[in-house]
Amino acid sequence: MASNTVDPDRLARPLGDAAPASQVQPGAPLFICEGMSYAYLERFPALDGVSLEVRKGEKVALLGANGCGKSTLLKVLDGLMFPDAGTFTAFGEPVTEENLEDEQFSMGFRSRVGFIFQNSDAQVFSPTVREEIAFGPLQMGWPREKIDRRIDDVLGMLEIAPLADRAPFQLSGGEKKRVAIASVLVMNPEVLLFDEPTAALDPRTQAWLVELILELNRAGKTIVMATHDLDILETVADRCLVFSEDHRIAAEGSPHRVLHDRELLLRVNLIHDHTHIHRLGSGEEAHEHEHDPAHHAAQRA
Amino acid sequence: MSDTIAHGDAVPTPTWLVTGELAICPCGCIGKRKKGSFVEKTLSGAVGVMRSAMFGDDVAQQRGFLQRLDPRVKILSFLGLLIVTAFVRNIPTLVAMYAATVLLAIVSALPLGFFVKRVWLFIPIFTGIIVIPAMFSFITPGTIILPLWHWNGHPVGITAQGLTGAGLLVMRVATSVSLVVLLTLTTPWTKLLAGLRALYVPRIFILIIGMAYRYIFLLLNSVTDMYTSRKARSVGNQTNDYKEGQRVVGATAGALFGKAHTLSEEVHMAMVSRGYAGDAKTYSAFTVRAIDVAFAVGCVVAAVLVLGGDRFLGV
Amino acid sequence: MHIPDGYLSPQTCGFFAVVMLPIWYKASRAVGKIVKSRYVPLLAIGASFSFLIMMFNVPVPDGTTAHAVGATIIAIILGPWAAVIAVSIALVIQALFFGDGGVLAIAVNCFNMAFVLPFVGYYVYRAIAGNAPLTSGRRALAGGIGGYVGINAAALCAAIELGIQPTLFHTAAGVPLYAPFHLAQTIPAMLFAHLTVAGFAEFAATAGIIAYLQRANVPILKINHANIPVTDEELAAKRLGWRWALIGLAVMIVLTPLGLLAPGGAFGEDAPQDLDLSKYHLSAVPTGLEKFSSFWSHAVLGGYGFHSGDHPVIGYLISALVGIVFISVFLVAFIFVVRLIMGKRGLADEEEGAGAGGPPPITV
Repeated sequence: MASNTVDPDRLARPLGDAAPASQVQPGAPLFICEGMSYAYLERFPALDGVSLEVRKGEKVALLGANGCGKSTLLKVLDGLMFPDAGTFTAFGEPVTEENLEDEQFSMGFRSRVGFIFQNSDAQVFSPTVREEIAFGPLQMGWPREKIDRRIDDVLGMLEIAPLADRAPFQLSGGEKKRVAIASVLVMNPEVLLFDEPTAALDPRTQAWLVELILELNRAGKTIVMATHDLDILETVADRCLVFSEDHRIAAEGSPHRVLHDRELLLRVNLIHDHTHIHRLGSGEEAHEHEHDPAHHAAQRA
Repeated sequence: MSDTIAHGDAVPTPTWLVTGELAICPCGCIGKRKKGSFVEKTLSGAVGVMRSAMFGDDVAQQRGFLQRLDPRVKILSFLGLLIVTAFVRNIPTLVAMYAATVLLAIVSALPLGFFVKRVWLFIPIFTGIIVIPAMFSFITPGTIILPLWHWNGHPVGITAQGLTGAGLLVMRVATSVSLVVLLTLTTPWTKLLAGLRALYVPRIFILIIGMAYRYIFLLLNSVTDMYTSRKARSVGNQTNDYKEGQRVVGATAGALFGKAHTLSEEVHMAMVSRGYAGDAKTYSAFTVRAIDVAFAVGCVVAAVLVLGGDRFLGV
Repeated sequence: MHIPDGYLSPQTCGFFAVVMLPIWYKASRAVGKIVKSRYVPLLAIGASFSFLIMMFNVPVPDGTTAHAVGATIIAIILGPWAAVIAVSIALVIQALFFGDGGVLAIAVNCFNMAFVLPFVGYYVYRAIAGNAPLTSGRRALAGGIGGYVGINAAALCAAIELGIQPTLFHTAAGVPLYAPFHLAQTIPAMLFAHLTVAGFAEFAATAGIIAYLQRANVPILKINHANIPVTDEELAAKRLGWRWALIGLAVMIVLTPLGLLAPGGAFGEDAPQDLDLSKYHLSAVPTGLEKFSSFWSHAVLGGYGFHSGDHPVIGYLISALVGIVFISVFLVAFIFVVRLIMGKRGLADEEEGAGAGGPPPITV
C-alpha cells in the first residue's frame, strides 16, 4: 500500500479497453426512476413513490437514516429487486424481472452496473481471491486469457496482488473490501453503486477508498452511493438525495446546501439535536458533544 | 483472528489433537465423555477448526514432493491407494503400505513426529481400544492361543483369528487415515476442491462445497462471538442446569440459522449482480506434467505389487 | 456415528455409493426446481450450518455433553431433500478437510446421517406436529421427538452396516477382515449410546432451535411451512389431528422390536450348546450372528430352505440384505402412509418432500 492514489493511466488500461461503446451522451440520464414503491413481504414499505434521475458521469449520494430505503433503492438500481409500482429505466431500456431473463439484456446490464455491497463477507464468497475476481468475467463467458489479464491488472491497481491466492477468512476487513471492489471493477462497469462504502473501515482505508472513488469518477464512471457519513459528503458527491424516514425523497441538492439545512437533517433523523457540524477545511465534519445527562433523559421521554 | 496465519519455524500443534475426546467421532456418542461447560467445549472446538485449517494451508504451501503434483492426479492416485488398502488381507502388506506413507511424508517435508501423531491420535488408537473384546473367543471364535478361563468346560480366551483381525483393523485404519492426511496436508484445500472435478463431481457441487467451506469460518466467528459475550456476562455464574444449557444452545443455534439465512440471501444477490444465472462456472487451471504421470504410473505399479504380494502371502 | 475408513469393506462402501447416487440426484432435482439460482448459496450456507451444528456441545441430563447431528432441524426448516444435500456436503467437508469419517465410507455415512436421519426425523415430526399452528409448543416437541427417533434410526443403520462385516467378510480361517463385531454387539452398543445420550442431545437441539425460532424468527420457520397458520387464532376450525400422535406412537412401537431383537443375541446370554457349535472348529460362523441368522431364516425365510447349517454364508447374506431392505421398505411405507392420510385430511397443501408431492416451497 505505497500510495493512496490511483494513476488514471493505469486505471484506463484495465477498465477502458473493452468498454461497451456507450450511446449515452455525457450528462444524459442513465437511470430514470419514476414513482417507485417497494414493500418487503408486501407489508413493510421501503420505498414510497421515489422518482430520480442519475446522469452520466455524476456522483450522487443517497442520504438518510437507517432503514429509510437507501439500500433498497440501490438493489432496485442493480436489478436485484423490482418495484411493486413505478418504473425503472436504465440505458434507455426498462429494467424488469422479465427483461432480465433475456440473456443478452441481462449480460449487458450486469456488466454495465456494478454493486459494492455493504457486507463484504456476503460479496466475497469464493474460495480464493483470484477465483472471486474471476467470478463475474466467467459468468460473462470471457476467454480465459482476457480474464487472467484483467485479474492481474485489477489486483495491481488495488494493490492486492500478494493476496491473490489467499482464502477470504485470511483477509482483514479492509482487504475484503478491496477484493469486493476488485471483483466488480474487473468487469469495467459504467455505473458503480456503493452501499455504505466507508462503514467499518479504518481511517486509512476510508481515505484510500474516497480517493479511489474520485479517480474512478474522473475516469468517467458514474457513482451512486448510499451513506450516512457526513464527513466525506462534500468530497465524494456532486448531488445529494435525502431520504425521509417515511421512505420518500425529502430533498435534493448540493452537499453544501444539504449539510447547511440543519432543520432538514434533523427532520429526517440523520443528526441528533446535539450534533454540531463544523466547517473544517474544505469538508464538513459532524460530531456530538457531551451534554447534561438529565437533558438527554428529557429528550428521550 | 482472520488476517494472520500461524507462520514460523516451529510447527504448532492444533489444539484438537491434544484435547480430542476418546470417541469414534467427535460426537462422543460412544466412549468416555468428560464433564465440563458446553460453552467452553464448543469454543475450543471452534478454535481447533480454525487452527487446523490454517495450519493445513501452511503445510500445503511448503515445497515437497507431493506438493508439486497435480491435485487431480493426486486425488485419483490416493483414492486408488485407499481402495487397495481396503482390499488387502494381510497385516505385513498393510505395514509395508503404512511405511510407504511415512516415506512419502518425509519427502514431502512433513515433520515426521507431527505426521505420526496426527494419524494415530485418535482414530487408530481408539480403534485399538474398542477392538480388544473382539480378540476373545466369544466374539471371534477360532484357535485359542491364550486361554484365560473356562466356562461350562470350554476354554475362553484370545483367539488367533481375533488377534489377527484386530491387527488387520488397526493397521487398515491407520494406513487409510495416513493416506487421507497425506493428501489433505499436501494440497491446499482450494486445489483439492478443484481437483475433485476429476472425479466427475458436478460443478454445482464444487461451487456449493467451496462456498460452504468459506462460510463455515464466518459462521464460526458468529458462534464464537455469541458464546464469548455470553461467557463475559455470566462470569462466576456457571449454571449446572442442563435444561438452561439446552435452552442456550437452542437459542444460539437458532440465531445462527437466522444469520446464515440472511447471509445466503445477500450472497445470492451478490452473485446475481455479477451475472450469475444458475450455471456453475468455475475457475481453475491445471497442467499434467511428467512428474504427475510418473507418480500415477508409480501408484498403479505399487497397487499391482501390493495386491500381488498380498495374494502371495496367501489367505 | 462417523464411520472411519477401514471399518467397512470396499464392497459395502461401493454398495452404498450406488444407493446414494440416485438419492443425491433426486435431491438436487427436487431442491433445484424450487429455489433455482438461489440453490447454491442456500445449500452452501445450509451445509455450513450443518457443519457447525455438529460442533455444538449440548448438555445432557447426566451432566456431560454430546453432539447433535442436526439433520432433522435442517429438514424441518429447509425440507428433507435440502437436508440431504446440506448434510452430505457437511460430511464431505468433515471427511476431506478435517479427517472426521472415512473417505471411502462417505456414501455410507451420508446414507445414515444425510438420508435416513433427516427423512425419519422429518416425517416423525410431521406426523406428531399434525395441524398444530406454527408457534405451538407441540411443533417444538414434535421436532425433538423427530430428532430423537431419527438419530436412533441412523444409529441402527450404522450398527447394521458394521455388524454385517465379520459375517460377510472374513478369511477361510475365520479372521474378520474389517470391523469384527457382530450385529449382536453392534446393535445394542449403538442403540444404547443413542437411546440414552446422543438421542437426547438431538432432541434438545432440534426442539430448542424450533422453540427459539418460534419466539424470535418465525419467517425462517415459514420457509418450509408456507401454508401452516402461525397462531391458534389463524388456525381454521379444524379438529385436532390426534390421530397423528397415534401414528407417531405406532412408529415407536414398530421400531421397538428392532431394539429388542438385538439383546436377544447378546453374547452373555448364549446357551452353551451354541458355543459348542463354534468351539475349536475354525468356523467362519460367529455365534451371535448365528442366532440372528436363524431368526431371519426361521421367522422370515423359513419356507425357503435357508437353514444356517446348510448354506450359512448365503443365509447371512440374505439376512443382512433383508435387514437393509426392511428398513428401506419401512421408511417408504411409513412416508406413504403419512402422505396418504395427510391427503385425506385435506393437508395436501403442506405436502412437500418425497416423491410426487414436489420439493419444499422455499420462497423467502
